[in-house]
Amino acid sequence: MEFPQIDYVAILPEIIICGLALLIMLFAAFLPRDRRWITGHIAWFGIIVASFAVWMNWGTDTRTFAGMYSIDLFSSVLKLIFLLGSLLVVFMSENYIRLHKLEAGEYYALIIFSLFGMMMMASAADLVVFFVGLEIMSVALYVLAGFRRSDPKSNESSLKYFLLGAFATGFIVLGIAFVFGAVGTTSIAQMFDPQQYTLANSFFYLMVGGGLLLIGLAFKLASFPFHMWVPDVYEGAPTAVTAFMSSGPKAAAIAVLARVFVVAFGQHITQLSPMFWSLSVLTMFTGNLIAISQTNIKRMLAYSSIAHAGYMLIAFATGTAEAVNSVVFYLLTYTVMNLGAFMVLLVVEGKEDGDNEITSFTGLGRRHPFLGAAMTLFLISLAGIPPTAGFAGKFFLFKAAVAKGQIPLVVIAVINSLISVYYYLRVVVVMFMIDTQTEFRPVSYPAFLYVALVVAVLGTIVLGVFPTSFFPFDIPLLASGR
Amino acid sequence: MLDSYGTVGIFLVVSVGFVVVTLGIARLFRPQRPTPQKLSTYECGEPTVGSSWVQFNVRYYIFALLFVIFDVEVAFLIPWAVVFKQLGLFALVEMLIFVGILLFGLLYAWKKGVLKWV
Amino acid sequence: MLSETASLVFWVIAFVTIISAIFVVSLRNIFHSALFLVLCLFSVAGVFVLLDAEFLAGVQVLIYVGGVAILMIFAVMLTSRMTNSEVRQQNEQKALGALVAFSFLLIVTGAILKTMSVKGGFGLSPSPSVTISTPHAIGRLLLTNFVLPFELVSVLLLVALIGAVVLAKKDGD
Repeated sequence: MEFPQIDYVAILPEIIICGLALLIMLFAAFLPRDRRWITGHIAWFGIIVASFAVWMNWGTDTRTFAGMYSIDLFSSVLKLIFLLGSLLVVFMSENYIRLHKLEAGEYYALIIFSLFGMMMMASAADLVVFFVGLEIMSVALYVLAGFRRSDPKSNESSLKYFLLGAFATGFIVLGIAFVFGAVGTTSIAQMFDPQQYTLANSFFYLMVGGGLLLIGLAFKLASFPFHMWVPDVYEGAPTAVTAFMSSGPKAAAIAVLARVFVVAFGQHITQLSPMFWSLSVLTMFTGNLIAISQTNIKRMLAYSSIAHAGYMLIAFATGTAEAVNSVVFYLLTYTVMNLGAFMVLLVVEGKEDGDNEITSFTGLGRRHPFLGAAMTLFLISLAGIPPTAGFAGKFFLFKAAVAKGQIPLVVIAVINSLISVYYYLRVVVVMFMIDTQTEFRPVSYPAFLYVALVVAVLGTIVLGVFPTSFFPFDIPLLASGR
Repeated sequence: MLDSYGTVGIFLVVSVGFVVVTLGIARLFRPQRPTPQKLSTYECGEPTVGSSWVQFNVRYYIFALLFVIFDVEVAFLIPWAVVFKQLGLFALVEMLIFVGILLFGLLYAWKKGVLKWV
Repeated sequence: MLSETASLVFWVIAFVTIISAIFVVSLRNIFHSALFLVLCLFSVAGVFVLLDAEFLAGVQVLIYVGGVAILMIFAVMLTSRMTNSEVRQQNEQKALGALVAFSFLLIVTGAILKTMSVKGGFGLSPSPSVTISTPHAIGRLLLTNFVLPFELVSVLLLVALIGAVVLAKKDGD
């Protein structure tokens, strides 16, 4: 009986993150209540250390744990995106936790555990690892969504997310079972090789499995028709958690979609393309059209996140490595600009449990020019107007799609982007152009939130102006080495 | 392999059958003359107070939750215990990590006071 | 293929599973639903035994019948008014739901039948090659090739534990 070789250096980031979560958990239990704020500082510090560990492993191309865990450029880039997103969320949360008197220790521990799950998903070269990673991520998020226990809306959000999420998980398990039945392995790398298939002529069987997997992942991605939970869950969850939910799980789902549908089922991509095509189109239209009629900013951002899931699916309708690379870049831009928008929302929301109506932004631009300008930047970036990150993300994605001849899809996506300009700019109009009798109330300036906000603003501009100098656009999708 | 479960099957059938048969026979032969007194719940001869569906303390639920979590842990311990002798030290270390991580959880729950009974 | 007795047993178990599952979603007393869920989960353990997956059958009884179902009954009892009151388990979208469930059934059985016709015999055939007991085989795999998911499961359980404590604990430590 031989044991698998474990490359401890390569998995150092994961070890750090897992240890960090355990440490914070212990602090949550053993520190006196009035000193638990320190866990937030441990969290961001640990995330930065883990980011360095990822950086240290840059260029490592290996599979460890008996080929189940793939450390390669693709997973490293995604891990950095997750780490960046979590770092910004930790910065955002510091003030929020204090204002709403949430339990800091458990909050950060769950955020870090969720991050750990995402990192597992990004590196998973086996469906079983992917599944357990997904569950770690999701269970932590279910709890985080209901973290404001005294708020009925938060409870509703948690319950809805949990019930529907658990249901989606069922589809994923069944899908894995079908895929295993068809190809006789759960390893993504071996699945790629049709020689390994155990059942002759099992294409239909495999596709049922793939379809079930897709249902589960589409749920996590918030894609049509599995998007129904998004507005309610986003609205009810604590705002900082909503920000985390809208960026991290999406990126993790995209990572797995890429590994499963572009790598493992790579030879079937032409048959799969129409399915992704229609999913993408329907998701874009659903998100953008319903977003127009929203008056609550959190719900609007929820529908906007559905719309962005639609844009991301373009990459899978295209199915080339280039498209997947550009969707990873898109994820990076989306993380920065979307978290940025939520940061401004957090500042505006302040202490009171605001109803988060768009009208609550009235006059923000005049009274607080920096906040107004930042929000405008994030919103035009979300709409995809140059020279922002959102434009660059869409540009590379559409370019990859056009290169594969997906011109109608790109045209539809551009039309959708134009629709989205309407509802994003409506907020800008409210912020700057509507005269109000009353002055916008003063807002507090929590230091960490502002650091995060500045990072997000710089990120949105820099990624928009110099996209190619910060992002490697030639990422192989799975570690080639053993 | 399957045959050894025949015993389990027979046992199941007998245990279910026993209840059905004895209660069924009793139902057939007993006289049935119910009165309100006879139908009331017996509580040591006293009149009953309130519904018997009392609301349980929420603490039971946390205990039950913790029980399920450690139940799952035990389910993973079984295959380890079966092959432990063949796999030796490495397997022991793996299991120590597995149990160790959950030990953090137990420590957490204990410190949070959920294991205390009021 | 299965022996005569085994297939008879299978049909009995399948019947019990499906009937109890229907009761779970249709009974108006939620406590009775929970009890039928226990029966349903228990019969699934029977299916596992028929498939030679003894370990899974044991785990099914240990965790689902012994743990999860009891937890559900607890939950019903905790919400005091639920035990007696009648609840409607259906809503207006019953027909649509049935349609979706039925087409799902069609696709899944379609996939199984189609694959069976290609390979011939794919369903409930007990594999004669099994000489090693399933806990042995599972133990070996878990501790060698599947060591990563194995350790991850303990992290998952830990997260679930924290979640349970955070959400169910009374306020004030």
